[in-house]
Amino acid sequence: MTSDPIVRAIDLWKEYPSDGRKGTAALCGATFEVRAGEIVALLGKSGSGKTTLLNLLAGIDRPTGGRIEVEGRNLEAMGERGRTEWRRLRLGFVFQFFNLLPTLTAFENIFLSLELAGKPDRGRALQALSDIGLEGKDHRYPHELSGGEQQRVAIARAFVKEPLLILADEPTGNLDTHTGRQVLDLLVERCRRSSTTMIMASHAASTRRSADRVLRIVDGEVVEESPAADVEP
Amino acid sequence: MNTVTRSFLRYMLRRRSLTLLQFLGIACGVAATAGIVLSARAALGSFSKAVEFLNGRATHSLERPAGPMDESVLARLMSDPAVEAFSPVIERSIRLADGEVVRLLGIDPFLDRPLRPALVETAGSQAGEREKASLSDRLAFLTQPNAVYLESQLAVKLGLAPGGTVKTAKGELEVIGTFPNPSGEPLLLMDIGHAQTLFGQKGYIDRVDLVLDDAAAFLSRWENGYNLQTSLGRREAMIRMLQAFRLNLEALSLLALFVGIFLIYNTAMFTVVSRTRDAGILRSLGARRSEIVSAFLTEVLLLGAVGGAAGGVLGYWLSRLLTSEVGGTISSLYFFLKPAPPSWSGWIVVAGTLIGALACGLGSLWPLAELVRSDPARALSGRTADRRSGSNARKLAGIGAALMAAGLFVLAVSSSRVYAGFAGAFGFLIGASLLTGLALVLLAPALRRTLDRLGGLPGKVAAGNIRLNLGRTSVAVAAFMVALSMSIGLSAMIGSFRRSVEQWLDNQISGDLYISSMDESDVPVSLYDELKAIPGIIGIDPYRSTLLHYRGTSTYVSAVDAAVLQRLASFRFLEGGQENWDRVKAGAAIVSESFARRFGVKAGDTLTLDAVRGPAPVAVAAVFYDYTSEHGVIMMDRVRYLSLFEDPTITSLGIFVDPKNPRRSEILADVRRRANERDLPVLTKDELHGNALRVFDATFAVTLSMRVIAIIVAFFGIAGAILTLFIERRREFGIYRALGFSTAQVSAITLMEGLAMGFVSFLLSLGIGTAMAVLLIKVINLRSFNWTIFFHLTAGPYWLAGATALVAGVGGSLYPIYKAWRTYPQIQIREE
Repeated sequence: MTSDPIVRAIDLWKEYPSDGRKGTAALCGATFEVRAGEIVALLGKSGSGKTTLLNLLAGIDRPTGGRIEVEGRNLEAMGERGRTEWRRLRLGFVFQFFNLLPTLTAFENIFLSLELAGKPDRGRALQALSDIGLEGKDHRYPHELSGGEQQRVAIARAFVKEPLLILADEPTGNLDTHTGRQVLDLLVERCRRSSTTMIMASHAASTRRSADRVLRIVDGEVVEESPAADVEP
Repeated sequence: MNTVTRSFLRYMLRRRSLTLLQFLGIACGVAATAGIVLSARAALGSFSKAVEFLNGRATHSLERPAGPMDESVLARLMSDPAVEAFSPVIERSIRLADGEVVRLLGIDPFLDRPLRPALVETAGSQAGEREKASLSDRLAFLTQPNAVYLESQLAVKLGLAPGGTVKTAKGELEVIGTFPNPSGEPLLLMDIGHAQTLFGQKGYIDRVDLVLDDAAAFLSRWENGYNLQTSLGRREAMIRMLQAFRLNLEALSLLALFVGIFLIYNTAMFTVVSRTRDAGILRSLGARRSEIVSAFLTEVLLLGAVGGAAGGVLGYWLSRLLTSEVGGTISSLYFFLKPAPPSWSGWIVVAGTLIGALACGLGSLWPLAELVRSDPARALSGRTADRRSGSNARKLAGIGAALMAAGLFVLAVSSSRVYAGFAGAFGFLIGASLLTGLALVLLAPALRRTLDRLGGLPGKVAAGNIRLNLGRTSVAVAAFMVALSMSIGLSAMIGSFRRSVEQWLDNQISGDLYISSMDESDVPVSLYDELKAIPGIIGIDPYRSTLLHYRGTSTYVSAVDAAVLQRLASFRFLEGGQENWDRVKAGAAIVSESFARRFGVKAGDTLTLDAVRGPAPVAVAAVFYDYTSEHGVIMMDRVRYLSLFEDPTITSLGIFVDPKNPRRSEILADVRRRANERDLPVLTKDELHGNALRVFDATFAVTLSMRVIAIIVAFFGIAGAILTLFIERRREFGIYRALGFSTAQVSAITLMEGLAMGFVSFLLSLGIGTAMAVLLIKVINLRSFNWTIFFHLTAGPYWLAGATALVAGVGGSLYPIYKAWRTYPQIQIREE
């Protein structure tokens, strides 16, 4: 794991305006980097800025200061179109509330990702569904699936296009412990198998154990912790 | 179709009840527009075809300036070198036994043949029996006094064949054959000599149709005392008469579409709000903004196109119902017209689709901009509800106020243009609709207190929801407010107009009895002379009204007995009173307000009228209020009229008997008897007023039907908004249930929201509706028809609007309430 950084955040700031006065800072000069193939756990209390950081890395939110580099390129300088292409081709997103499109079937939710990436291969989408153990459930809509199944579909959707980076925002936060563990194992196993980089925001202890590195957001800054340390999430 | 678009379109199936409401709203809006446009076009199309058919090859027509002309004119025409062919015509309407009024054309078959060969040759030649159109039939046409050819569709409708008898108010007519009329207008054809007898016009004809080869030379010889019109000019003059009527109809239909666009805006806004989260997910997956915009537009335009196509079909059926009403109104107000219903065409669906899609495109512009601006990170955070701040509402209200001011400015500076009047009124209405957001913000505390008192906690929650979901609720309230305002405005305008007409009838039509024929026959002068001799009759007004060409356009000239009206009627003048009649008795004329405004004439001016013996100056003594014709009336004493036009015809007789005369009822019975002996119907003043008001009500039947459609469209809007709020907040309802709210309380929240939105719409419509009434009365009507309507404020329109708001508020809440009860006991808290 000594390759070039996939993601590099340099003195990253994000402030939200409040009541027209100077805003509340979610991130205050966060600096870190993530290398190819790493699985990074991003820890922090509720409201500490984990989701904000992931949104910034995905390019769906804009920093108020600092700089993000993805694959050596300045994300801000890539422009709206470049950032969309980054998400489309190189990024997979897994959310706490699954965020499957409610009007699409399990198969279509996965196929959508391939279609957007310009690789509309139905066989590959069906294979992805089979890989997560949901064969035969391709025609089911999200509300016809359990929480765990929905998250599996979301994981398949993120991985099917073979992205460079997976951003996972509390992927087990909305699941029971047993299902959460299964989903986490699936995520990590898929990353390891395909050497995909992953930044996973979470506060579950199991996440910490599965990660190569642990980053913690404290007062808007990102600090590195030892994966083995036994501390509160 | 790509998966992004598919994900948007599936919502239409997933939320079927909402889709159905939106679909119905769009369909009704488009149907109203299509219905009016098609029926107006059918009426004008029929009119053009009828004129074309009846004109045949005629290049010109020759008439007296007013009234029929002596048939001795034919001898002069025969020797005029510019005349290639000519045909004298009697053209009247006649009432059939079933009450239907049809046109009767009296012609000379020999003289008419070169002008209308199709008419003369095909008469009696149905089903290829031309050869057999026997000589005896044709002979019968000439010799048999009651012989007529019947238009074939009318014959089918009446179940008549040659040899049958058609019953009319003028007696039984024998059908000797049928003929096809491409215009579809029912028509009777009679020999001119017999027609003269039938209508008591012996020795007189209505006009002569001509084929001229040198019109200029002809005109130089017939300049004085005659009116020569080209066929095209005659047709155009008649179409011009319909201009204001047509414009008003089209503006009305636009109203329904206008409300429909609000509904579409609401629909599109809902699409944006409910798709914002999906759009956020799609953006996080790498979908471009353009792909999301395209999916959104596909969904909205598809709904518009399908709703529009259905609206086209509905509009076609509506037009079939409206065409006869429109035709009846044109016949009552302008000239005889019996339009054929519009024929079906696939283009109606295409046009409906385009109107629906276009309206949707227009209604979606702002929501689309909202979608493009939406922040994916915010959307993904789960904040999908559209909760706008009061500042946004204030900004919109500012724009609205500016639009209202601009509308009023347009109304003020464009003093006479009716199009500008409509544009100004619409601008005012659009501006007013933008005030609803601010009104909801300002009314929120009062609404909260009221609903709290009415419904306790659910009431308070409902008031909060209306305030928090301003983006949704303000649009629904705006659409409903516009519909209610138009309802109040139109009802108040029609009510005021009706009241003004009632007062006008009371003032001007104040005789005890009126004798006139039900069709276009005249009252014999002999009867007038006979009645004058009856002791006890204190006055008789021999009224004559006929078309007159003035400055190249059609207007009316009336002859009255000025002395009788001065004594016994009480005309209302713009200036002065009954003393104005003194000058009329001395040879001057009074003109109607519509004439004065139309031609820019005032008391003291002199008119130059084309009289029988050439141009004649007539002084204007005064201007009087009148609702007979928007094209104007010149009224003069009968003596002056006879000297100018040599037309002794009497259209009706007004009989005045002294109310204190002990023999009053005896005298009135005597008058009735004498009139009945001549087959002339007699009406009392009240019956005549009743007939006039029936015509009035029929005239506004189309207006009222448009008002109803606009309210139906708005109802779908408000029902859709309530259902939308319900769907969007199902999760919140789940939380209320978890907190201990009963299903009844959850239903109460929905009901209170509906009632409150209806109430606020009603409240706003009180002011805006009254303003619209004033605009319609003082600006639109005045410019369209050139007459003053006196504003009569009555509670009726406001009660109606209030009841409509109440019904819509409750009705719109019923389905969500049903859903709430059906999903009892577990309205879900979980995510979709």
